[in-house]
Amino acid sequence: MNLLLTIIHHAFFAMIPAVGFGLLFNVPLKALKYCAAGGAIGVVCRYLLLEQGVSIELATLLATSVVGFLGVYWSQRFLAHPKVFTVAAVIPMLPGVFAFRSMIALVQMNQLGYSPELLANLVDNLLKAVFIVGGLAIGLALPGLLFYRRRSVI
Amino acid sequence: MTSKLTESDQRALSRLCIQSGQMLLQHGAESTLVVDLTRRLGLALGIEEIEVSLSPNSISVTTITDRHCITTVRQCPDHGINMHVITKIQHLVVMTEHQVLDTYAAAARLQKITAKRYNRWLVLVMVGLSCAAFSRLAGGDFAVFAMTFIATCCGMLVRQELAHRHFNPLLNFGATAFVTTSASVPGFYFEIGNNPSLIMASAVLMLVPGFPLINAASDMVKGHINIGVSRWVMASLLTLATCMGIVLAINLFQLWPWMR
Repeated sequence: MNLLLTIIHHAFFAMIPAVGFGLLFNVPLKALKYCAAGGAIGVVCRYLLLEQGVSIELATLLATSVVGFLGVYWSQRFLAHPKVFTVAAVIPMLPGVFAFRSMIALVQMNQLGYSPELLANLVDNLLKAVFIVGGLAIGLALPGLLFYRRRSVI
Repeated sequence: MTSKLTESDQRALSRLCIQSGQMLLQHGAESTLVVDLTRRLGLALGIEEIEVSLSPNSISVTTITDRHCITTVRQCPDHGINMHVITKIQHLVVMTEHQVLDTYAAAARLQKITAKRYNRWLVLVMVGLSCAAFSRLAGGDFAVFAMTFIATCCGMLVRQELAHRHFNPLLNFGATAFVTTSASVPGFYFEIGNNPSLIMASAVLMLVPGFPLINAASDMVKGHINIGVSRWVMASLLTLATCMGIVLAINLFQLWPWMR
């Protein structure tokens, strides 16, 4: 019961950013509800995988590949490129906090001088951010890489 | 579509193809999509061969019919991400392929595609709610949610005003980050909510260049290394500019003790 509530909580609060950033990217009105659905499904999948002890990079890759395949299905139904649905949907999974922590460590190193802790902070967070973004992009591109190799999705 | 194209027909078709490619690149489509749609449009309208080459801020198209070659190049200054335009061009290409549109109808339709935008106040409120939702997902309580909403809205207002006045995006992101962080300072001073640093961390998430980053990575995966690298560098610079804004505000308001 507790798990169900947590899932609903995550799904609801992932839908809001998916729609908000969909508006920022001028996603057509009809596609917005699919952005919201994709966002909710992606975040819940990743949450469940993280709970099982999967690393955050792999969990992101698997969750976004689910969103990627859903995006292909929707894109064939509505004649729009999958990215129209999927990018806004994966925005809640972007490693923004990692990226900012690493950049703040960089700026701090400039102000305070070199220290091993700051360098560790910079490298750790930067690597996490890069690998998560890589996982996101490959997860979204997976349908194209596996099944639509020599033809277009629509 | 087997009838011979005259030279002026070919010229008109080349213009049509490159205009669609230019619009796609300007509005944030990934490279594979730009190349694919431009080629398909040309082939559907009866060109024998068409080649598209992309560079980070220009596009060139070569069309060949009857061993007669036309090459043309266009600059592609960034017009901001707009999925509406991309969807419309995709529909146009699919309709042309199914022979619903001929060259004139396709050209007329392409001219009519405008970069429609959502009402700015709607976008402002929704982005505010989005960042507030990020703070909730990260474990903030209701006070943190409300403060994040306010801070993000202040930042978003600045971002829209500066973008409207065509300031450099790097400057825009830096200024927006400064205002957003400053607007979250009361959270630290008055100890609002269970974790005031979440307010700042979530509010600046609206400045993460998500679309350029994902586009960059997928361009590189699909072999457009050149454009992928340039998009990646641009996204990193935007992140760096954002951090400059944040650090400036942190220094100004003496927030380092809370950052540890």
